[in-house]
Amino acid sequence: MSADRHHTEDEQDPASQGPLDVEGHPIRDEAQRAPVLPGAAEVAQRPSRTLWGDAFIRLRKNKLAIAGLVWVVFVVVVTLSADLWVPRYFADPVSTEFAGLESPSADHPFGTDRIGRDVFSRVIYGARVSLAVGILAVSISVLIGLIMGALSGYYGGLLDAFVMRTADIFFAFPYVLFAIVLLAILGPSYRNVFIAIGILGWPSIARVFRSSILSVKENEYVDAARAMGASDLRIMTRHILPNAIAPIIVYGTMSIGGAIITEAALSYLGMGVQPPTPSWGMMLSEAKALMGPAPWLTIYPGFAILTTVLAFVLMGDGLRDALDVKMKD
Amino acid sequence: MALLEVNNLKTQFFTRDGVVKAVDGVSFILNEGQTLAIVGESGSGKSVTALSLMRLIQEPQGRIVDGEVILSGKDVLKLNDSQVRAMRGNRIAMIFQDPMTSLNPVFRVGFQIGEALRVHKGMNREQAAQRAVEMLELVGIPNAAHRAKDYPHQFSGGMRQRAMIAMALACDPDILIADEPTTALDVTIQAQILELMLEMQQRTGAAIIMITHDLGVVADMADDVMVMYGGRQVEYGTADHVFYNPLHPYTWGLLDSLPRHDISEKGELCPIQGQPPSLIDIPSGCAFHPRCPHAREICRTSVPDLKEIEPGHRSACHFSSDPRFRRTIAASQPGREVR
Repeated sequence: MSADRHHTEDEQDPASQGPLDVEGHPIRDEAQRAPVLPGAAEVAQRPSRTLWGDAFIRLRKNKLAIAGLVWVVFVVVVTLSADLWVPRYFADPVSTEFAGLESPSADHPFGTDRIGRDVFSRVIYGARVSLAVGILAVSISVLIGLIMGALSGYYGGLLDAFVMRTADIFFAFPYVLFAIVLLAILGPSYRNVFIAIGILGWPSIARVFRSSILSVKENEYVDAARAMGASDLRIMTRHILPNAIAPIIVYGTMSIGGAIITEAALSYLGMGVQPPTPSWGMMLSEAKALMGPAPWLTIYPGFAILTTVLAFVLMGDGLRDALDVKMKD
Repeated sequence: MALLEVNNLKTQFFTRDGVVKAVDGVSFILNEGQTLAIVGESGSGKSVTALSLMRLIQEPQGRIVDGEVILSGKDVLKLNDSQVRAMRGNRIAMIFQDPMTSLNPVFRVGFQIGEALRVHKGMNREQAAQRAVEMLELVGIPNAAHRAKDYPHQFSGGMRQRAMIAMALACDPDILIADEPTTALDVTIQAQILELMLEMQQRTGAAIIMITHDLGVVADMADDVMVMYGGRQVEYGTADHVFYNPLHPYTWGLLDSLPRHDISEKGELCPIQGQPPSLIDIPSGCAFHPRCPHAREICRTSVPDLKEIEPGHRSACHFSSDPRFRRTIAASQPGREVR
């Protein structure tokens, strides 16, 4: 083969003999360099960055997304470490040993509630419920939604019609009402809140993933993979999924915020987490009669819900921009 | 025995508007190491023919309704799904038109080239990666070991098509189908890619089926040429036959519509009048008759058979065997030399 001729195409000939640098690339001085377009050499030697690497770099530039990320990490760390310090320095979240309705003080930074529980420790432990519901319920939705959306988008036809009409049925009911009905059937409990929210969330995920797959599977590299002899499973998991997953990551992150709100709403209505487990929604529900005389009962859990949900949404928003290759600068 | 023998292949698509007869009775023979060019306008059934050979027709809308595709004695159309997968990429490989979209953007180029080897040859990642680098070197990618770790967006169009060729040839297939491999590339790169394909053919002995509407490409590469129109074969012969002694008026039209600086000083182009036919509603008789300047009554009423006019040279025109007809045409076409 006349190798030389081909090297004229895009760049200089790096296979030339010569000393190598530490990474094994040939070192050349200016005089040796073949006549190339300015910049071509740098392009050729640019280190490979992955799609995710690029996305991370873009994400880092988005201050709001980073603020969201920092808040989420903060909440997670505080919550996970709560057992180590909250009962010791403040109070146990379920003990009723204090005087009721004390306003915030050094002993009780967020005050106490009607039956003498420390609000600070309940807000902190309440985050456990919120985060657990947010993450686990969304994981359930994403798992079901991915499978349904993949089958629907990849195979099309009758299967697609069946899955999408099922999703439409789910959409036809008001969300919270449907959740209440499900919890009424399953019985209100910590575990059933996950299940109810998880089951209700899959149709949106399936829809988003389906449309994403529909556009990805038209790409020629999917045809190329099929022509190469890849099986359906391989095409789906190797070639379609990684290219279609970005919207799900974004949507899933944002859904965590939504799931936290739904949990709070359900607990507020008494259909969610049962006392004495602390939950932000339930705290708000208990505080509603005392909003005037004891505003701290409403403000702190309310603030906790607001900031945490906002943090997840900002993070999702930032991820959407970061994963959008068209935004490449 | 011929490497690939296609008999009376018929592929149809069942749409709401009717049955699209995309390929309507195509037959040809491909020997080892040979290059066959399939030529025709858009929508003449070239690509569908190729996809049918690989059993890549999207079901249930599309179906191969009749015919045989015999690869080394076995009918491809009778294989089950896993046998078909074992054939694809391994015995018959394919290069697609647009190299910008035929590589998966999320995988490194070397990994993608190695994929076929892992699927068909049971290689592990390291072996496949090593072989991928060799393949990239073979197709003239400089600094292949380094470039194999690049992502497709770091490759130029020409390099990507080289990578596609490397991928297609990784498993050393018997047949390489190239579906307009140079259409999306600029002219200088086109020439390089064609040259590379010829070079690779000499090294690996693969037979090539080249689908194109560019007669220049055909003249460079092909041993045999099949001209398709409206899903049917209208002319089949060696490249010399088709270029120097074309028998079918459609082939004349194709050749006349090429810009030629050596014949006409003024360089005026002679396009074929009219539009390619709808494959749902193929014209009666000879599909080309509405656009054929020489059409007569018989062309409207009866479908011409593909007849062997001279050894190895077949044409589907009622008048191909009539020497007077050919002379008249030659005279009425200024600039065409009569042989």
